[in-house]
Amino acid sequence: MDTIANLAHGFAVALSFDNLLFALIGALIGTAIGVLPGIGPVATISLLLPITFGQPATTAIIMLAGIYYGAQYGGSTTAILLNLPGEISSVVTTLEGYKMARNGRAGAALATSAIGSFFAGTVATILVAASGPLLTQVALSFGPADYFSLMLLGLIISAVLAQGSVLKSVAMVVLGVALGLVGTDVQTGQQRFTFGIPELSDGIGFVSVAMGMFGIAEIILNLEKPEARSVLKTKVGSLWLTKEEWRRATPAVLRGTVVGSVLGILPGGGAALAAFGAYMMERKVSKGRHMFGQGAIEGVAGPEAANNAAAQTSFIPLLTLGIPANAVMALMVGALIIQGIQPGPRMVEAQPDLFWGLIASMWIGNLMLLVINLPMIGMWVKLLQVPYKFLYPSILVFCCIGVYSLNNNVFDVYMTVLFAIFGYMCNKLKMEPAPLLIGFVLGPMMEEHLRRAMLLSRGDPMVFLERPISASMLAIGAIALGAMMLPNLRKGKEAAMAG
Amino acid sequence: MRYAGPDPGRPMSSILPRRAVLAGGATLALPAAVRAQGGPQGAGGGSWPTQPIRLVVPFAPGGTTDIVARLLSQGLQERLGQTVIVENRPGAGATVGSLAVAQAAPDGHTLVVSNIASHGIAPTLYRGLRYDAVRDFTHVALVVENPSVFVANPRFPAQTLPEVARLAREDARGIDIASSGSGSSNHLLIVQFGQATGARVNHVPYRGAGPAMTDVIAGVVPMMSDSLPSAAGHLRGGAVRAVAISAATRHPAFPAVPTFREQGVDLVSGSWFGLSGPAGLPPAVTDRLARAVAALLADPAARARLAELGGTPGNLGPQDYAAFVAAEVARWAPVVQASGAQVD
Repeated sequence: MDTIANLAHGFAVALSFDNLLFALIGALIGTAIGVLPGIGPVATISLLLPITFGQPATTAIIMLAGIYYGAQYGGSTTAILLNLPGEISSVVTTLEGYKMARNGRAGAALATSAIGSFFAGTVATILVAASGPLLTQVALSFGPADYFSLMLLGLIISAVLAQGSVLKSVAMVVLGVALGLVGTDVQTGQQRFTFGIPELSDGIGFVSVAMGMFGIAEIILNLEKPEARSVLKTKVGSLWLTKEEWRRATPAVLRGTVVGSVLGILPGGGAALAAFGAYMMERKVSKGRHMFGQGAIEGVAGPEAANNAAAQTSFIPLLTLGIPANAVMALMVGALIIQGIQPGPRMVEAQPDLFWGLIASMWIGNLMLLVINLPMIGMWVKLLQVPYKFLYPSILVFCCIGVYSLNNNVFDVYMTVLFAIFGYMCNKLKMEPAPLLIGFVLGPMMEEHLRRAMLLSRGDPMVFLERPISASMLAIGAIALGAMMLPNLRKGKEAAMAG
Repeated sequence: MRYAGPDPGRPMSSILPRRAVLAGGATLALPAAVRAQGGPQGAGGGSWPTQPIRLVVPFAPGGTTDIVARLLSQGLQERLGQTVIVENRPGAGATVGSLAVAQAAPDGHTLVVSNIASHGIAPTLYRGLRYDAVRDFTHVALVVENPSVFVANPRFPAQTLPEVARLAREDARGIDIASSGSGSSNHLLIVQFGQATGARVNHVPYRGAGPAMTDVIAGVVPMMSDSLPSAAGHLRGGAVRAVAISAATRHPAFPAVPTFREQGVDLVSGSWFGLSGPAGLPPAVTDRLARAVAALLADPAARARLAELGGTPGNLGPQDYAAFVAAEVARWAPVVQASGAQVD
């Protein structure tokens, strides 16, 4: 089979000394920046881009790709240990992962995340190799109407499955959507809610919101109640998974891999949708769904597998169409173009070394990350035993550096502080920040696709029902909504949530 | 996030006649450039550069402007013997980064990649713009001009511009054309095309060129106005087909693509960017920078890279570039107003 011969060729390329070395360097740098809160792969890769000018193209891309997925691994570490999501995709990891850490299962959560990510990465790599071009066609069959319906479905399900007060979580989703709409209106170029501040014209930064509302708000809360600090002094617990945990995590990883691989291909926000999607799925179907909110291992395993699978499959639109799915991929395009290589449909034939070498190196990189991360779990967990008077100021400093580095602008730091205060207030009012973040991410995308679909149909809303993909999404959404309304089912849900 | 910083430009040979006309106007920009002399660097700028130079790119990393800016920073670094650090400060149509440089000390250690968005269109588009694109900067050199192209999905029936225009007049729904964003120079080219041909054009804006191109390839939108560097790879790969290029002459990298003019639509338009500093840069510094840019653009390897990317090396020194910027502001004002895009 061609694919196998090609993959063999890819491994021959990826296993050369230089390429292995730079894959390792990339993975190490990626893990480090992932662990440092807020310093993301975008800032790092753009800083390191000049270094790659002198390297062969394949080596350069292998290193940059290593930084990218290394950051995904590292980002989970802070999400679990410190409740600090650095990327959209690790927001949901904080929900159950941080609870697990507080229950003394930090080691197990980190191990689940690393192993789940590795497994998902392996499957997704094979998928990229075997059917990349084919999958591109699937992604291209999604029109604006279909994207809108998919995201609407996501919002409906997140409201249906919300924890605690449905009213409060719906309110948070709506508030999130409103915050997401700040900035330049894509259709008309008009400024909305920017109050003449130029920095707001491109919207409120995701990292400011996520870091403020989750991480820094959490620090304020911890400072408020001294007794909470003792949680981390309790025994860290076994670093390895118990038999029971294995049994529960395995199916979750499998489901997460499927969800992530599929959603990662969609250009624009695929990886974020993947993690949210997997979380919602686990919450609905997993055996441990009644444990959600108290540190369910499925809630770590599923989304972590999904976001890593999506991180790999998001290379598909880049490698087959030359279309970057996110900011990191846009930088990859830049790095390739500087090397004189134009990513696009012809890259597979024109640059077989690069294409197959990169795919092989994805898997090698994932293996390296597993090897780097598993033995280091003990070390990461020890981080929790660092006295808070040292730990907190350092986290805050790194957060500030990270947020600043996004746009090289102090404004983002101020925004983070604002959202930290807001996050603290929400916590006091028992309002969950996660639905807000989902609305914040999905809201503007939904609006954009809704209006584009209407613009293209000249204002005819039937377009949402005429397209089969869109119609099916809306039907599922209607069923989910109907199910919530039915009193007996609702009772069942409340029992499940309470229990 | 916008992937495709750049926008269409103003091609090459078309500029020549206008340049001659404008040469006189260049003096208008001079007093501002001269006003803050006599600082520590004023004595001939012999010691400059004494520290690493910050080159502010007012776009997100990864776009075509960012890529060329990095080639520029490499070239300057080699020729000035000092590190040149690229600093991406995106936001508000490239005006956030530009404002920061307008307010920086004019010592030659802070420079900006001035461009059509922040220095050609923004003065009209943003009513509350806090800098003057001409007077608050020392313009050093025009670096690159990029023509725009109208690209179409390969299955789209219209092959030529007249066919596109006819289709757009006959179909009561008009024709959808995508662009990288409302108020971008790609958008303005669509507006100009509609004005010139009477075609019923339905502009479909996106957040950057990447997602727009995806939808053209997928057939969601049949056509798009894009800058040549951003579309080049997709044209070479055959994912989309070029209908017309907005330069005065055909581009050497895409000799088969006819111009707008050849097809009876008198439009020459495109994006550009250059190197500028805050107003009052010492003349010796400006001069040395201009010479470094000129040397870089004369380098055959650099020229070849730019051509490959779909751009055309610029060829304007400090005075001509300042006049060019002023002319661009005047030229785009009526088009921006006609487009209906206006940002308070």
